[in-house]
Amino acid sequence: MRRQIPLMLVLVLGIFFFIQFFVPSRLSTNIYQVSLQWLILISAFAIVLAIGSLVNHHLLKIKRRREHWPYSYATLAGLVVMSLLGILGRFPGLGLLDEIYYRLYLFVQAPMDAAMFAILAFYMASASYRAFRARSKEALLLLVSGFFIMLGVIPLGALIWDRIPDIAEWIMMVPNMAAKRGILFGVGLGITATSLKIILGIERSWLGGGGK
Amino acid sequence: MIFSTNPWVWVAAILTLCIFSFLYRENPFYRFAEHLFVGVSAGYGVAVYFNNAIMPNLYVPVFVHHDYLFIIPGLIGMMFFFRFSSKLGFLILIPLAMLLGMSSGMGIAPTIQADIIRQMQSTIGDATSAGQGGWALVWGIVTFIGVIATLSYFFFSREQKGALKVSANIGIWFIMIGFGASFGNTVMARISLLIGRVQFLLTDWIHIIK
Amino acid sequence: MKILEKMSSIDRRVIFLLVALAVIIPLVANIGLPSRPGKYTIEMYGFIDRLPAKSQPLLIDATYSPSMMPELQPMLKAILRHCFARKVRVMLMTLDPNGPALCEAALREVAPEYNAVYGEDYVFLGFKPGSSAVIMAIGENVRQAFPADNYGKPLSEFPMMADVRNYADIPLVVSIAGSAITQGWVIYAGTRYHASVGAGCTAVSTADYYPFLQSGQLVGLLNGMKGASEYEWLNQRNGYSTARREAGKGMDAVSIVHLLLMLFIVLGNIGYLAGRRAAQKQ
Repeated sequence: MRRQIPLMLVLVLGIFFFIQFFVPSRLSTNIYQVSLQWLILISAFAIVLAIGSLVNHHLLKIKRRREHWPYSYATLAGLVVMSLLGILGRFPGLGLLDEIYYRLYLFVQAPMDAAMFAILAFYMASASYRAFRARSKEALLLLVSGFFIMLGVIPLGALIWDRIPDIAEWIMMVPNMAAKRGILFGVGLGITATSLKIILGIERSWLGGGGK
Repeated sequence: MIFSTNPWVWVAAILTLCIFSFLYRENPFYRFAEHLFVGVSAGYGVAVYFNNAIMPNLYVPVFVHHDYLFIIPGLIGMMFFFRFSSKLGFLILIPLAMLLGMSSGMGIAPTIQADIIRQMQSTIGDATSAGQGGWALVWGIVTFIGVIATLSYFFFSREQKGALKVSANIGIWFIMIGFGASFGNTVMARISLLIGRVQFLLTDWIHIIK
Repeated sequence: MKILEKMSSIDRRVIFLLVALAVIIPLVANIGLPSRPGKYTIEMYGFIDRLPAKSQPLLIDATYSPSMMPELQPMLKAILRHCFARKVRVMLMTLDPNGPALCEAALREVAPEYNAVYGEDYVFLGFKPGSSAVIMAIGENVRQAFPADNYGKPLSEFPMMADVRNYADIPLVVSIAGSAITQGWVIYAGTRYHASVGAGCTAVSTADYYPFLQSGQLVGLLNGMKGASEYEWLNQRNGYSTARREAGKGMDAVSIVHLLLMLFIVLGNIGYLAGRRAAQKQ
């Protein structure tokens, strides 16, 4: 029963909204419109899963004194302070909290997020140097294509030879586009097949252990 | 070199350097910044979900406009909290089923239209429009061959030999050129992210760049 | 021969140092390499440039987090400058929970430059969860997804929103995104609701969107920092902006780092081939 009701729900909703696309009667359109609002609201609560797991993980880490446990206080403090500032800041007369929340985002969260991804540039440079080898004809093709794009996208490329940006654009629009379109067909078919499998109850991994 | 007098800029600069210190090796400064980042961004997310979704899409409709129908999705959404109950954990399958059922059903037809039919129309159209003539027609035909060859590379229902093998091999060439294009652009993307941080340090923190 | 073989074993720290210098020196030296706007940047720019002033608003979805900021934030600012300079109204929204403050930062910087008035020239709808559901809900009625703006004020209170119901009243949707959500805009807004969609994406995903460009499902595409730089250049050339070209300056550094990286790859390959030849001889 624990698994049957969710499976039945998926089947009914999936088939209804699939048909609704082709038969947009007044009633079905009304249901569709209401459902979209429901979908947005239900999705909003999904954050509970992420935050709950995060808090659980760090509380457990502190409790069991696992490696680097004192740092978990920084995570939990950041979580509590930011959420309180953000929520309370919207109340009348507490606009200052909202401004602090905004600044903490801009000067604490944003720089760290950006810096974490920025260091990838160094590793990418090092990895390209070590691993990007023309070991076969196919790898050589990849290398040549990559070089033309790297030159084509920079202002210096056109200064070296004014046809380079055009060649890069041709690579993007003809062979690259053909390959990506072939892959896109696969992705489209994959999404469709997975959706159908979910609706028909063939794909059940989302039930996880909850139904046992 | 004139340093900024804004304490917020200093905080941002120090935290940036804490993250950059990972380039040397993992260290307590990096670890602190990493943990702080996770907490702060989760906290930011909680407030954003509360202010931008729960309040306008649940609280206001129910308690201000007295539209009690919104209580139902609210209650279904709250079932996610059962994730932390050992006995009633299975109840989170209800909101999950609603999300999956609705989004799968709504998504199938538009996905087929956008990702398959429109792409097919475009591929065939460009390869057969004799009217456009010249190089455009040639590249249209090359594209058509490329798409078919790429698809044949991913066709595993039959052993790849004979014509299928030839086609699959041509497919690999197209795919490799495509990956090369992705690589070239990815390099620019990653470098851009580093440039963004360096620009911040040199412009806002140490006013070297005007 | 040994020198050739050594070319494939440069120390990691040397590479890091050279990359850092290749970024810092062009930024400080202020090279100012000329931009040449690409075809798809021009198409996007032209589409917005043809929109009549004070008409129906265009919708910008800025779905990205700070990790993609250097590529996408200058793009958002450049498009906002273009719109505000031409008095084209804007609705700004985000589908990334980390997005609202970035949108807010862009608006706080750009709106005062053009004396753009909140509620008359632009509205900030804020964040909404649900991705594709939000895109579809806007197709029915924007108020279904966004009953209120980012600050909790009902949309009915804004004069510019009076005649805006769904995509039929929105001349263009611009998806500035660091994720696959642009495809969601193409699939749901473009295909299901026949909206015109343009995109600005991180360079990582540019190559993946070419099928949509070629089929006409995207009216234009801005390619990462390059696209942002070109848009800034077009704004300046047409007298819409005098602001510092953030992305334009960044592209100078990108140029140098690309050359350096290509050199690394060539050196690595020379070393590899030399090593292979030596092994064959033995």
